[in-house]
Amino acid sequence: MSSQRVSIVDGPLAPMCEVRSFEDAGAAVTFEGIIRPLEGGRTISGLRYSAYEPMAELVLMELARDACARFEVTSIQVEHSRGFVATEQRSFRLVVLADHRRAALDATDWFINQMKRVVPIWKAPEYAADRDPSNDSSAERPDSMAEALP
Amino acid sequence: MQISILLFGPMAQRIGRDCVAVEVAGDSATVDQVLAELRRAKPTLASDLVGHCIAVNHAYANGETLINAGDEVAAIGMVSGG
Repeated sequence: MSSQRVSIVDGPLAPMCEVRSFEDAGAAVTFEGIIRPLEGGRTISGLRYSAYEPMAELVLMELARDACARFEVTSIQVEHSRGFVATEQRSFRLVVLADHRRAALDATDWFINQMKRVVPIWKAPEYAADRDPSNDSSAERPDSMAEALP
Repeated sequence: MQISILLFGPMAQRIGRDCVAVEVAGDSATVDQVLAELRRAKPTLASDLVGHCIAVNHAYANGETLINAGDEVAAIGMVSGG
């Protein structure tokens, strides 16, 4: 029996709380994606993420279930940002629990590779001169799209 | 039948819109037919519309998948999460 949890949240991810239960696992791998200050050699203020929800959540959950089955992983927790995330902040976190190290490490690598291929989330760099602070907490759908989606 | 296609990320940015409508004959159309219409209507998106780039009702679709009235259609293109 494995467990999966997926969430897409506004803005940067909060620092990780201590894992409350290791569910009898012998290995816990945590991966965090941090916004780099340089993009293509230019200094950025951060990245703006947009997501096609709820498909992004559905696909993330599908990948989490698939990873648990493929690698004998007992638990996968995924968090991803939407909206603006400043440099040096976290935009992605994956916590994988498994009985053994190799399964947890392999599942982590596989999950991230798959996510970058199929999960409908996009990022765009924002350069210091372009940034409008009033957009910092906005979700990424323009108004007309919000009306079109359920 | 008119089919609205949701756009996101670079594609929405490129044409300055988050939704494009295309007209197809009949009460349903395949993903390939809709893609052909979309490429014709918005040639600047053609380079993004390769492989399994269309989702129907929140799931990736293949070229033969039928799209019916009321289905939610989205052009996914190249993703870049993480």
